[in-house]
Amino acid sequence: MTGVAVKDAGTQRSLLARVAATDRSTLALVGVLLALVVANGLIDRSFLSLSQLRNTLLVTAPLALLAGGQTLCMLTGGIDLSVAMTATAAAYVTGVQSADGPVTAIVAGLLVGVVVGLVNGLAIGVFRVNPLIMTLGMSGILTGLLTVGSQTFLGGATRMSEIVLELGGGTIVGPVPWNLVVWLLLGGALVVGLRRTGLGRMIYAVGDNRVACRLAGVRVWQVETAVYTLCALLAAVAGILIGGRSGSVDLQLAGSYLLPSVAAAVIGGTSILGGIGGYTGTILGALILAVLDTMLNLLTVDEALKQILYGCIILALAWVYARGTTTA
Amino acid sequence: MTSLAAARPLGLATSRIARRHAWTAAVVVFFALLLAWNASQTKSFGAFEIQTLLASTLALAYLAMAQSVVVIGGGIDLSVGAQLVLVNCLSARLMEGTDLGASLLVAAGCLAVAAAIGALTGLVITVSKIPDIIVTLATSFVWGGVALLVLHTPGGGTSGGFQALVLGSGNDWWPALLCLLAPLLLVWAPLRRSRAGIAIYALGSSKNAAYLSGVDPLRTRVEAYAVGGLLCGLAGLATTAFTAGGSPQSTIAMNATLNSVAAIVLGGVALAGGVGGLVGPVFAVWCLYLLPNIMLGLGVDPSYGEVVKGVVVVLVVLVGGLLRARRKRPE
Repeated sequence: MTGVAVKDAGTQRSLLARVAATDRSTLALVGVLLALVVANGLIDRSFLSLSQLRNTLLVTAPLALLAGGQTLCMLTGGIDLSVAMTATAAAYVTGVQSADGPVTAIVAGLLVGVVVGLVNGLAIGVFRVNPLIMTLGMSGILTGLLTVGSQTFLGGATRMSEIVLELGGGTIVGPVPWNLVVWLLLGGALVVGLRRTGLGRMIYAVGDNRVACRLAGVRVWQVETAVYTLCALLAAVAGILIGGRSGSVDLQLAGSYLLPSVAAAVIGGTSILGGIGGYTGTILGALILAVLDTMLNLLTVDEALKQILYGCIILALAWVYARGTTTA
Repeated sequence: MTSLAAARPLGLATSRIARRHAWTAAVVVFFALLLAWNASQTKSFGAFEIQTLLASTLALAYLAMAQSVVVIGGGIDLSVGAQLVLVNCLSARLMEGTDLGASLLVAAGCLAVAAAIGALTGLVITVSKIPDIIVTLATSFVWGGVALLVLHTPGGGTSGGFQALVLGSGNDWWPALLCLLAPLLLVWAPLRRSRAGIAIYALGSSKNAAYLSGVDPLRTRVEAYAVGGLLCGLAGLATTAFTAGGSPQSTIAMNATLNSVAAIVLGGVALAGGVGGLVGPVFAVWCLYLLPNIMLGLGVDPSYGEVVKGVVVVLVVLVGGLLRARRKRPE
């Protein structure tokens, strides 16, 4: 009964009031993003040009997809440390298979993601292996398989086919790269899916209180299997896009994306303890990281200082967010 | 408390000891089996092989100990690898062209810095109330960056005397073993029995219960991370001695961190905190080192070592989890 009453009160509030009340942290993130963009524009006028905008979007799309999968896992209270290796493996398989035509190649790459995700999800959901350990182990397993495979059963050239190259680095019109379209489609599905579908609500519920979910009749293992499979699938798409952008694939292709994928979700306000957050914040987090990266490049800060600043800013944003949630 | 425990029937006490150390014992047996297997593959297995084993795993063993202390205290430190790289670079830069005495002085300084870094991490985590994973993820970037500032490219050096003192040479396997035992006996053994050590276990096993029993969370967390930092410092120094230089690559840090987590899980430290010790993880590190060697002996591509490592870690956690669940149910 009370649940119905609360729901009624919620729907009666005006849309504007709801946006202002629930999305204060989102507005703060938009503020940070705008400040960074303006700062970049002041440092270098050409940053605000269309070609620079295209470059920024090109870098953001794969990161945002990886961070999207990471967000799903974190919402259930888990984490996926195998996203980078999954992305690399998917890109590698796509590259090797591209001799058989682009469709086969892309499907093969996506299949890698599905298989990896299913194994992760079943181990975590059914056999209750700690997600950190499971995905860490999976990362090692994939590294080993790829290292051996590149000399034996996955041998041969890893030239991406034209379609993949176009998807990863090509432009549709003006500043809009193709990979943005892929990201918008999948990202839109994620935002709507998390808010409107049963699975989306179940993901939040499992992260909030796993035991209560089980007692309420939710098949927790199904939710977790779905989440880790989706995460690996998104990672595979991201990997193929990254591979398409760089043209050829090596074993370190996506390794540098692992920590930023977690960082983007955290900056976007998704709690690593589960149940709190969403993909909108993660998108902003990924954009902030990408713009920040460009800024440090524009300032020609050397790599050492860049890493220090990067770490401090992640820490500062997480700290601000933690304060915001405890006082509210 | 002690008189009460002594008054208990002997059988109960021994079963408790057996239960508490069952995991460590299992890891030791597993290691003994692997060692015997590896020895049977090598024609002249002896002191030289033992020295190689001890010297090449010393850094990772220290790192696993560091991770254990932090995880027992209810946290997790994803920056252990970055701290190792930082101390490695710092010491390699300062030790270049010095003699043994100066090298030891530098080593002492580096350890102080490492402990301070650990304490700072613990302080930030407790004060900011951000989850450990996030804070140490961010600080791993910071320490990696500082390491690059200290040493731009792989380089630096150390004195030959320092290398021989830490690792031994040729067939001398005991210096490395002594170095490994030193922090166990001098730092961990007294700490574990002290108030502070019990507080670390208490905080890891239940934060609220520990707080209500008068454990100061801030102080305990800072202490746990400081000891972790000190052990990371030792790992960095061992790396300097082993490679005779410093290398600021972030992949080294990443791999070392992941290996440390795998080792503690194999070594019987529960990720939830409050359970485990430092001896199990060290044996786990040795097991993880022997696996690729044995595969090489069997004629399998040692690159599959990573695959086997991953499968072993996952299976051990799976079986361990099932055993723990079964043990809990009847009670």
